[in-house]
Amino acid sequence: MLMPNTTKTKTILSVQDLTKSYGGAIHALRGINVDVHEGEFLVILGPSGAGKSTLLRCLNRLVEPTSGKILHNGEEITGKRVNLRALRQEFGMVFQQFNLVKRLSVLTNVLTGRLGYRSTWRSLFYNFSKEDKKIAIESLARVNMEHKAFQRADTLSGGEQQRVAIARALAQQPTIILADEPVASLDPKIARQVLNYLKQVTHELGITVICNLHQVEYTREFAERIVGMSRGKVVFEGTAEDLTDEILHRIYYKDPDEEEKNGK
Amino acid sequence: MTSATFESAVQATLQREVQVRLRRYLKLAIYGAIAVAALWYAAVQIKLSFGALISGVPFMWDFITRLFPPDFSYLSVLGNATIETIQIAIWGTLLAILLSIPLSFLGARNTTPHIIVFHLTRLLLNSLRAINELVFALIFVSAVGLGPFAGVLAVALHATGMLAKFCAEEIEGVDKGQVEAQMAAGATRMQVILFGVTPQIIPQFIGYAIYRLDVSIRSATVLGFVGAGGLGFSLIQTMKLFKYHQTATCIFVIFLLVLVSDWICGKLRRKVI
Repeated sequence: MLMPNTTKTKTILSVQDLTKSYGGAIHALRGINVDVHEGEFLVILGPSGAGKSTLLRCLNRLVEPTSGKILHNGEEITGKRVNLRALRQEFGMVFQQFNLVKRLSVLTNVLTGRLGYRSTWRSLFYNFSKEDKKIAIESLARVNMEHKAFQRADTLSGGEQQRVAIARALAQQPTIILADEPVASLDPKIARQVLNYLKQVTHELGITVICNLHQVEYTREFAERIVGMSRGKVVFEGTAEDLTDEILHRIYYKDPDEEEKNGK
Repeated sequence: MTSATFESAVQATLQREVQVRLRRYLKLAIYGAIAVAALWYAAVQIKLSFGALISGVPFMWDFITRLFPPDFSYLSVLGNATIETIQIAIWGTLLAILLSIPLSFLGARNTTPHIIVFHLTRLLLNSLRAINELVFALIFVSAVGLGPFAGVLAVALHATGMLAKFCAEEIEGVDKGQVEAQMAAGATRMQVILFGVTPQIIPQFIGYAIYRLDVSIRSATVLGFVGAGGLGFSLIQTMKLFKYHQTATCIFVIFLLVLVSDWICGKLRRKVI
């Protein structure tokens, strides 16, 4: 395999010509090509409806892409023959609305991160092994939420819930975390706190993060690399310094098809 | 967090996890023991006995064999009774719908004019639901005489109790934001109900009404036991006269009726909701 440069830019995920259309009429993704480097904090920036969530969900196959390929460490993970359960162990996910099970305790919620490793009948009575509990509590402690372990999830504030959701993703011991607008429903102070936790903890553990955001400031603050999306296409790739007003205009206001027609 | 405090926090939480779990098991054991004791006592009281069930099998078998073959010539007699059963159910449910619309608003905390009205309405609805249709039918037979009209009233009252209670609970669960917007516009209480509450509960109300029609058809098939019209009269009559082949025909028709009503009501519900 062709590997430019050093180990720092080892490609963990490679998205090639990925498309997704719904019912043949609505094209959410129109030929996406992106490489994700191991250990980086990659932000996918774009307006609502650009296809960011669809792209993220194609990576762990919550959404089936229409065509194209995704390679994970050089191995294809698209197509019917992939073991989804094994694949999803590798990808932790953090959601905009946190998606904690409200009636379960914080600890049980984090323990659900271990379900991918356990058979159904072994979790039938909500029993988990001591080892799983240790992993879950460690994950909680990493986001400083272990003191709320035995409360019901719906007693926590939004920021706390998202930290628990991050712990749930960590408990999976993933190599990649997919964060879909993780701070869209939080106020600026709490949002920064949550993004700090996400970035710091994943950095410590060497986990790659792909984080969807629509806010430019947070992107500038946290992104190590940025992929800009607009109407199902990648329109920018670079760092925070490259993110000029002109590029922001291209991401948020321009129609990428117009641009192509006019020869840029 | 330094690694030492991190480790101690993890250890402390692990220990707490054991405590929390033990306390939960203890609670489970205590409540479980109480439940088992109560169920055991009840089983003794009501003489729950598999022996009696098994020794009763030959008698049941004897009864079933007497039912066969059903006397299908009796179908021509049952035609009118079948239609009457359906008519009782439809009119009973319709009256219940009309009655339960005002009652459900009176019996919901957020739309009732006064808390006393709320409690009185709930009391009324509870008593309507507490009394079985057959008991209502007995009362109405003595009031308006033998026949289907007594059955209609019995179905209507019992169904009102259920429909209005379900609907009142639905009203209490409406989205407050939509109500607040009407109030902010200066709407009267009645206008708030009309524009903020009603649109939110209409699909559920229709769903309950259709479900209730289905239940009403089932209960209308037995109202004849006490002389309140419908198929039940033929059923009990043929049994009393030991014409078991005709009884079998009645059971067959009731079975068909329930099957068809379930099918139609299911279709209707899917269409509405």
